[in-house]
This record gives sequence, C-alpha cells and structure tokens, in this order.
Amino acid sequence: MYRKQVRRRRAVLALLIVSSFVLLSITYGQGSRGLQSGVSTIFSPVQSVADRALKPARDLVDWFDKTFDARGENSRLKSQLVIAREQAVAGQEALQENAQLRSLLELDRDPAFAASAFEEVTGRVISRSPTVWRSSVAIDLGDGDGVRVDDPVISGDGLVGRIASVGPSSSQVMLLTDHASAVSAKVVPPGVQGVIKPEVGNPEDLVLDFLDSTKRVHRGLAVVTAGWRAQGLASNFPPGLPIGEVTSAPVDEQVASQQVQVRPYADLRNLDFVQVLTGGSR
Amino acid sequence: MIVTPQVLGRIVAIAVLGVLLQLSFFSQVELFHVSPDVLPALVVCLALLGGSTTGAVCGFAIGLFVDCLLVEALGISSLVLLGVGWSAGTVRERFDVHGLLVPALLCMGFTLAAELGFAVIHLLLGIDAPVSPLIVRDMLLKSVYAFFLAWPIYLGVRRALRPALVEEPKIRRRQPTVLGA
Repeated sequence: MYRKQVRRRRAVLALLIVSSFVLLSITYGQGSRGLQSGVSTIFSPVQSVADRALKPARDLVDWFDKTFDARGENSRLKSQLVIAREQAVAGQEALQENAQLRSLLELDRDPAFAASAFEEVTGRVISRSPTVWRSSVAIDLGDGDGVRVDDPVISGDGLVGRIASVGPSSSQVMLLTDHASAVSAKVVPPGVQGVIKPEVGNPEDLVLDFLDSTKRVHRGLAVVTAGWRAQGLASNFPPGLPIGEVTSAPVDEQVASQQVQVRPYADLRNLDFVQVLTGGSR
Repeated sequence: MIVTPQVLGRIVAIAVLGVLLQLSFFSQVELFHVSPDVLPALVVCLALLGGSTTGAVCGFAIGLFVDCLLVEALGISSLVLLGVGWSAGTVRERFDVHGLLVPALLCMGFTLAAELGFAVIHLLLGIDAPVSPLIVRDMLLKSVYAFFLAWPIYLGVRRALRPALVEEPKIRRRQPTVLGA
C-alpha cells in the first residue's frame, strides 16, 4: 500500500516536471497566445480593481522606502540642479538655433521626424513581473484602444519600453531593463549613435553599446531615441524621445568595449501611468 | 491533509489571491530597491501543511497561473515552484515542523533556492545582456523579506485549511461558567 502511494507520488512529480519542460519548449520565445490571452482577459478586470484597491497600501510602503532614500538623494539633487541650470541656459540657446535651422531646412515635413503621426493613449499599470530576470509590466490597454505590438511606451520622464503582446483588454510592456530589450539611440549633442541595452538586475543603469570609438561621449549628456528610417524600414520609436543621461563614460571603456553607462530618466520601478504611442509607421 | 472539494476550493482561492497580491501589490512596492516575492513562501506554506504532492501540484499551478498572467514563456515558474513545493513537502514528511520559526526559516531558505532556480533557468535559456552583481543583493533581500512575510502567510493558510489538517489540534474551548453554582 505504502509503496503504491510512493510510486503514485513519484509519477505525479514526473508528470509535472515533464509538463513544465514541454510547456517551456513549446512556448519559449513565442508564448501560448490562446491560453495566456484567455487567462489575462478573464483576470485583467480583477487585476485592475486590485491595483486600484491596493494603491494606498503601495503608496504607504513607497513612502517608507523614499524616506530612507531621501537623505542621500537631497545632496545629489542639489549638485544636479547646478548642472541642470547651466544646461537649461545652453538649451534655450540651442532651441532658438534649432527652430531657425528647421525652418530653413523644412525638416518638419520629413516623414522621419513626423512624431505627430503617433497618438498617445494613457494606461494604468496593473501588474508587474515578480522576478528581476523578466522586466515587464501589464497595462489596462488592449486591442480596443488601438494598441499594437511594438508600439513605444513612455512616461512623463521619457521612454519606458515597448508593447510585447496585446490582449483584448490588457497588454504587456517590455521595459527598457528587460534582457530582450534593445533600442537604437543617440547621444546629443554629438549625435553619436548606439544601442541601448539593459544590465539585468540593475534597473538604475542601462548600457549604450556599439558606439563609434573614435568619437568621445561625456558624462551628463542626454540620450534620445535615434528613430532611423532607411530603405523602407523604420525604427519603432520616433526620433528624439528622451531615454536617459550618460552617467559614466571612461575613455578606456569607450575605446575597449565601445559602451557607456546611462541612467534612464523614467523611474522604471515605480510606474503607475504610462502612455502608449499608437499608430506609428508600421 | 484530507483534500475534499471544499478544501480544494480553498486552496485555489488562496493561490489566486496570492498571485493577484503578488502581481498587483508586492511586485510594485520596493524596500531598499527590492520587491518581495511571496509566491515561493506561499508554496512552501501549502507544502508544509499538505505534503510533497500537494506542494508540487500547488507550485506547478501557481507558476503556470503567473506565467499566463504575465504572458511569458510557460513552464519556467512552474518548474521552479514545483521543485520548491516538492522539497518543502518532503522536509515536512521527514521532520516534525513545530512552531512558527521553522516555517519562516524554511520559507527564507526556499525563497533563496527559488531565486537561484530562476537565475539558473534564465541563464541556461540565454541572456544577451550583461548581468549585474546587484542580482545577489536582490536574491538575499527577497529571502529576508520572505522570512518576515512567512509568519502571516503560514498562519493565514493554516487557518484557511484547518478543516483539512489531520494533525491540527482542535481549539480548546473554555468551560462555560455556570452561573449560581
């Protein structure tokens, strides 16, 4: 009797392990859209309600967390403010110059710069992946809201990621910090181009890779989306979306590995609302 | 544990509630830049009360549910959590688990094991991006959070599943005071 019970338990365990491997083999890299779409459709309204109900509790925990951080952040922000003031003055001059040059070259008519082709749809973050290995959030926008796979997602501070999958009433956003994320970007003002990639497990740092090693990039410069367009192909991201700021750019690292460290403008760990740029050129 | 349809319904309710709380609350809050992960602790508590088979089945189902809601490749969370459930259930079958400290320590240990399991699977599946050493801090803090969260989870799950627990001592009732005696 006991042996039979043990055998049955082992059979259950073996069945579950085999099922896990089979599911993994079938769905890795593509997902089981039918099952997952069905489950997320059923539970996205529940998640949305739970998200709203738990917001005060989340805010309370965030308050404690931010209070711990506030002291160190205060001195850092003061020094940043000084730099930002200097940059703002320089920026005003650049804006005037830019407006004049644009009107001269009529760049606004160029389709590559037609960011206005995108329409912004605002959504609420309803859930988030629990592991650091997958950096994604679910939002309460779906097919019906005009959201499509690969649409750029932004917050008030800058680029957040792109839509990875769309369901009837919810979508998954692959954040910039997900290991599968890669965005073509450029450093302004020098205009050096590269690819923004994450450092898995570190949401505060991104890596701008594949830089031109002959051109120098300095700390404090802004990184924006490159938004390229060539031979009928176009980037999913419109040009000029702010991504982050270069935080570390040692010359030896630029020469040896052609990369610099970038801190994203958007706080990817605390996202409540995001905007999806729908209707782009795809 | 005697699994009747009523008890099964309670286990399903606990699992759904746990997953929704994890995705809508715990994953979205941070203490010292790390979000708690209560799912391994929940599976450990179910396994400690129900045994290895219950733990494995619950771990598999919870993992599958999480992967479905996150629209990720199915099977990764299932594989890790079923391993956690089976191992925690085996510990319970071989040793006497008394008090609240031992379940909390087991939750802490198995959460660390689960995070290591996730790391191994994701690295085996191939990650193109560089991996930050901060991953280690994340794993350790998650297991520390699991230690503290294990107490309410274990007490809550035990209370919800009390009718099914074979070894659970009945609540002692005070003898009614007879007035006028």
